[in-house]
Amino acid sequence: MIYLIVFAALLLLIVVGLYNSLVRKKNDVENSFASIDAMLKKRYDLIPNLVETVKEYMKHEKSLLTELTELRAKAVSGEIAEDDRVDLDNKIVKSMAGVMVAVENYPDLKANQNFLQLQGSWNEVEEQISAARRAFNAAVTNYNNGIETFPSNIMAGIMSYKRRRLFEIPEEERQNIDASDLFNK
Amino acid sequence: MSNNKEFKDFYEKQLLSDLKLLDKDRKKVDKRVILIVITTLIVILIEWKFIPLDITSWKGVVLFVTGLAGFILISLSSKKYRLDFKSKIIGKITAFVDKSLTYMPEGTVSRAEFIKSAIFQHSCDNYKGEDHIQGKIDKTAIEFSEIVAKYKTSSGTGSKRKTHYTTYFAGIFFVADFNKHFKTRTLVLPDTAEKLFGKFGQKLQSLSFSRGKLIRLEDPEFEKEFCVYGDDQVEARYILSTSLMRRILEFKKKWNSKIYLSFVDSKVFIAISLKKNLFETRLFKTIVDYSFIEENVKYLLLLVEIVEDLNLNRRIWSKE
Repeated sequence: MIYLIVFAALLLLIVVGLYNSLVRKKNDVENSFASIDAMLKKRYDLIPNLVETVKEYMKHEKSLLTELTELRAKAVSGEIAEDDRVDLDNKIVKSMAGVMVAVENYPDLKANQNFLQLQGSWNEVEEQISAARRAFNAAVTNYNNGIETFPSNIMAGIMSYKRRRLFEIPEEERQNIDASDLFNK
Repeated sequence: MSNNKEFKDFYEKQLLSDLKLLDKDRKKVDKRVILIVITTLIVILIEWKFIPLDITSWKGVVLFVTGLAGFILISLSSKKYRLDFKSKIIGKITAFVDKSLTYMPEGTVSRAEFIKSAIFQHSCDNYKGEDHIQGKIDKTAIEFSEIVAKYKTSSGTGSKRKTHYTTYFAGIFFVADFNKHFKTRTLVLPDTAEKLFGKFGQKLQSLSFSRGKLIRLEDPEFEKEFCVYGDDQVEARYILSTSLMRRILEFKKKWNSKIYLSFVDSKVFIAISLKKNLFETRLFKTIVDYSFIEENVKYLLLLVEIVEDLNLNRRIWSKE
């Protein structure tokens, strides 16, 4: 009789352990996803300042700057669907890269303290976004491992936990932005 | 060495005359040392013959003390010569490598910095070092010195209490300004557990509480060599970009010894295990020897190159 009780108790402990571990992993994923969001917001917040600083010097790049401002407005408005967000984000990155390339033609701007500081902040935010994405991928991999390995996969089935997708860099962003391509637009 | 010819010129114009003078000192010290050794041996012999045998235990002690006195005398008599070599020769070499560098033969990186790096968990009961160099390489402020750190273990109680010191680190401790701002602490330590136990080792590592969370990074080669702990998953990855991870691996291969890194307070702390005592002169062999002096420069350059190796002068983020 006593063996049955001990066995049941052990089983209970194992089940609780598996349950908790999976919940923790799921929360890690959500946490890291929120971090990416926070970093993205930082990036959007830099844009108005940047446009203001650059506007006076880059009088010939009005279209570039207007495009960037519009994209940013769309991003912070909160009116875009989940799937479109990634797309929008890529557009912003590309637009920003275009501005940075155009700056090369304005030596006064390149030497401007304000601009240099903004450029530094921009690089920092980009690097932090990259770090947040890497952290997200690590959390997702850990979670997927938990869901798919034995014995926690049984528990995952009971809890209806599904596999999640890693953050992938879309093909567009992977291709190096051709500078001449931007100027010919 | 890229500036071989430059150094050869420097050696001939700036160092040679000082070296020749120091070599004369060395010869004097050599003679003194031989004298002390012979005297000590004679005294020991006399003690051996004339101390009566019935107090043999005391005899052993007397012989030992005489021997010890001899050693102490030797080191004292060569001290001035050794320090002269350091301040004159090493001091000049340091300024040659980079004008901003200053050299303190008997200085060390502060114990507070060593403890702040949190690289070693042992309590720092005995902290000694020498050859403190500091300066600024382009935009990066650096300082480093040789350090030997020991922890104390006591055994026994009351009158039989014995304290034993164990060395847990001997080598170079290097501190540099890091090129990014960050708030939390990240540690990059040699991965012994994973090498021995594989996947199970990783599980053991994740249980180490005081060092922060285990950070699993994407570079498999880096993961094999190092074990990373940090307080924040995102900031640890912000610091350890893919390019920095590769650079750290190259750096480890270059030095071919145990490397420990820690990122705290916007600085990077590096502990390099080294058995060799650097920047030392020698007795009984001439020091007017280009290859002997070149050895010192080689190590100095290796250390200063750390800034290049880790690309610390790349300041494209918000830190200047």
